[in-house]
Amino acid sequence: MELEDIISKYPPRQIMLVPIAVVILALISLGVTYVSTGSPVKLGIEFTGGTLITVPGIGSEESVAAEFADYPVQDVRDIGNRYMLQFGPMSDSEYSQLVKLANDRFESPDIRHMGPIYSKELQSQVARYLPLSFIFMAIVVFVVFRQFMVSALVVLCALADILIAAASMNLTGVELSLGTVAALLMLIGYSVDTDILLSMRVLKRKGDVDEKIIGAMQTGLTMAGTTIAAVIALIIISNFLYLIVPSFTRMDIIADMTMVLIFGLAADVFNTWVTNAQGLRWYLGRSKKAARGQKR
Amino acid sequence: MSLIEDLSKDKRVLLYAVAVALAIISIGFFGLKFGLDLEGGSYLQLQLQGAQAQIDVSPERILEHQFNATSVEKRAQNYVVMVPGTVEAKVAEDLGYIGAKAAAGENSTKITIPASAESIVISYLEKKLDADVKLNYKVAPVRYEILTNVTRESLNDLLAAVGGRIPEGEDAFVEGVTDDTMLDTKRVLDSKLNRLGLQDIKVKTVGSRFILIDMAGADVAQAQEIVGKPGKFEIRIQTENNETAHVLYGDAVESVEIPDKDNEVWGVPFGLSEDGAAAFQKAAIDAGATRNPQDHFISMYLDKEEIFSAPLAPELASSLNKAPTRRMQATVGTGDAGAEKAKMLNIHLREGALPVNVEIVGSGQVSAALGSQFKLQMIIAGLIALLAVAGMVYYRYRERRIVLPMITTSFSEVVMMLGVWAAAGWQLDLASLAGIIMVIGTGVDQLVIITDELMRGGEAAVSSAQRSIKERAAEAAEKAGVGKIAATTSKVYISRLSRAFVIILGAAATTSVAMLPLLFMGFGSLTGFALIIILGVILGTFIARPAYGRIIGHIMGTD
Repeated sequence: MELEDIISKYPPRQIMLVPIAVVILALISLGVTYVSTGSPVKLGIEFTGGTLITVPGIGSEESVAAEFADYPVQDVRDIGNRYMLQFGPMSDSEYSQLVKLANDRFESPDIRHMGPIYSKELQSQVARYLPLSFIFMAIVVFVVFRQFMVSALVVLCALADILIAAASMNLTGVELSLGTVAALLMLIGYSVDTDILLSMRVLKRKGDVDEKIIGAMQTGLTMAGTTIAAVIALIIISNFLYLIVPSFTRMDIIADMTMVLIFGLAADVFNTWVTNAQGLRWYLGRSKKAARGQKR
Repeated sequence: MSLIEDLSKDKRVLLYAVAVALAIISIGFFGLKFGLDLEGGSYLQLQLQGAQAQIDVSPERILEHQFNATSVEKRAQNYVVMVPGTVEAKVAEDLGYIGAKAAAGENSTKITIPASAESIVISYLEKKLDADVKLNYKVAPVRYEILTNVTRESLNDLLAAVGGRIPEGEDAFVEGVTDDTMLDTKRVLDSKLNRLGLQDIKVKTVGSRFILIDMAGADVAQAQEIVGKPGKFEIRIQTENNETAHVLYGDAVESVEIPDKDNEVWGVPFGLSEDGAAAFQKAAIDAGATRNPQDHFISMYLDKEEIFSAPLAPELASSLNKAPTRRMQATVGTGDAGAEKAKMLNIHLREGALPVNVEIVGSGQVSAALGSQFKLQMIIAGLIALLAVAGMVYYRYRERRIVLPMITTSFSEVVMMLGVWAAAGWQLDLASLAGIIMVIGTGVDQLVIITDELMRGGEAAVSSAQRSIKERAAEAAEKAGVGKIAATTSKVYISRLSRAFVIILGAAATTSVAMLPLLFMGFGSLTGFALIIILGVILGTFIARPAYGRIIGHIMGTD
């Protein structure tokens, strides 16, 4: 089996170069975005402030945009059955007028307004809570294993997952929104599931390390498979269904979340079965050598 | 022994069956409530602007500064201020020192102010900031709660003028208001919205700085107007023949103080403007209330609703005979009930105005049509996700007897989550529906762990992937040195199941703690997502999965 080859053919140190390279690439992507925009990922409207209005998609995009010509329209998008207009920051009185206009001219408009205090507060919340979430997770991992190297490997793999998922947001143009933050937090929790499985199996069972890894991999890949299947179903429903069923509308929050999750899950498969598995091989190989004479 | 008969004796399976049954009853009985983004309506996100600070300042310096006084002296309960020239007591009252007395001397005036040191600091800050300031005794050292937007710097600047300052240290200046103020603000909003007959309104507090208001059936412009607009306050007096006459409107009420207890009787002191006091005196005399106060009720109305009614107090009646009175007190009763009434009256006297400055930081509206469309889309998404998961599991195990219990267990976890949600009366919003789908995804993962752990037993047998489950189960049972059926109760089985649960508990704990911060961020918009995931993980780990372990063990062991 090919998978077995990857696990046991090469010495761990050599294979570890691959994940290290991937993480470095991710860091470069995040770094470049940070230098050019001031934050490691592109911030969505919830973090920059502004107003989103969606109206029923009657008439052309231009004609709808023309209705709002007096206001700072930044973007108009067709989201299936409806148009979404994005407005830049405006004064409270302007906003009140805009709300009246939208309600007067369109049937059931959908409005979301995020003021500057809101978006600033949200930015600081994310900066505060995302690391906190990660630290909580790390504490739990250390409590579960009570072995420094094993725990550290799990935590490092989770970190790599998050970094890769965040970098993939830059590549695919997904902006940071409340939905994507939720997805990143979800990843923090989810990505360690398979790492815990792997480490438990390798540490608690008797037998050959490589075989134990491959055994765990079967379970782990099934787990990843079910989750990825669910996420792909959601991607299709939220992103593309409206293209087929004309009465449906794009669900932004779900679309954003699932985009981040799919990259995160892919990164997790890679990091669990390459990074973490090789890390364990290397670590256990070393301690074996140290405890010379022990039967392999 | 049949499968059902055998399983029904297991505690875990029983617990699971009872939990699912309860959940179904709960959903049927309470029904599911949907959030604003699925039902339509509008929402406002308000920030309460306030801060709490310790303040080092001498009240004498404040009075000196305010009156350009030549000397200030504290005598018993009073501060005595000597001011050059002739000054009326009104000057002191305008500065917020109600009850001050002025005695003109030859070329200076002696003003006696009955006030504590703290109340002088409060009066000074209130005047300068044009906002309410309260004293928070619940912390030590005491803090002044300033109910408007101030920074440490701006407050220090104000205090520097009277030689005061905020002490160094993080604790000396805290952004956000006290829980009491938060609750008061929520009460004002609740009572105001109720009075306006608006139903289905949820006022929620988030942290110590934010309040969320959800209004079904109102657009966002109406919502903003309702929250921003004060109520209409009126005082009327009973005339002859049981009729009432207008006395004054809310604009004549200059200040409302916090409820006060005097001889066990609670009351709310309030101050009238000069014109208001004159109008009150005239109305009382015209109605004949000053001669016969017992027969003349003073009534207060907010938005035409009576909020207070009591006869004119005899002492007030006799003093009104001589001169207008600016400071009055509405007495409401004794004990806890009196305290509660006084608190409400205090809110109403402020015309439903919020006790703290608020800023609308976010708002929006959702169309009901779009909401119900999203609801449908999410249900489709959930079902398709479940099907996709089922397909994946079947692809792996090729065994209906494993796939069916697995998918049933996963679905029953969703039912239990919804049952708790319905019983708690929480709303399902778009994010919590997404959370349910996430739980399906992770829940099945845990079931896969249990299944694999039970199937493979003590060693990693790669080649066994090709063998059927039955064979593997049989082999595992043989290895354990027990008969086929007994496999489910053997030590080996238990040890495998507990090993699976160590992994599951670890995974459940990490998912839950990673979600915890979401309960506190995003102004509550992701609370539902986080809560339902944590709930799903807990229900799954402690109720559904142990039962699944038993059931699947039986299925693999019996035939």
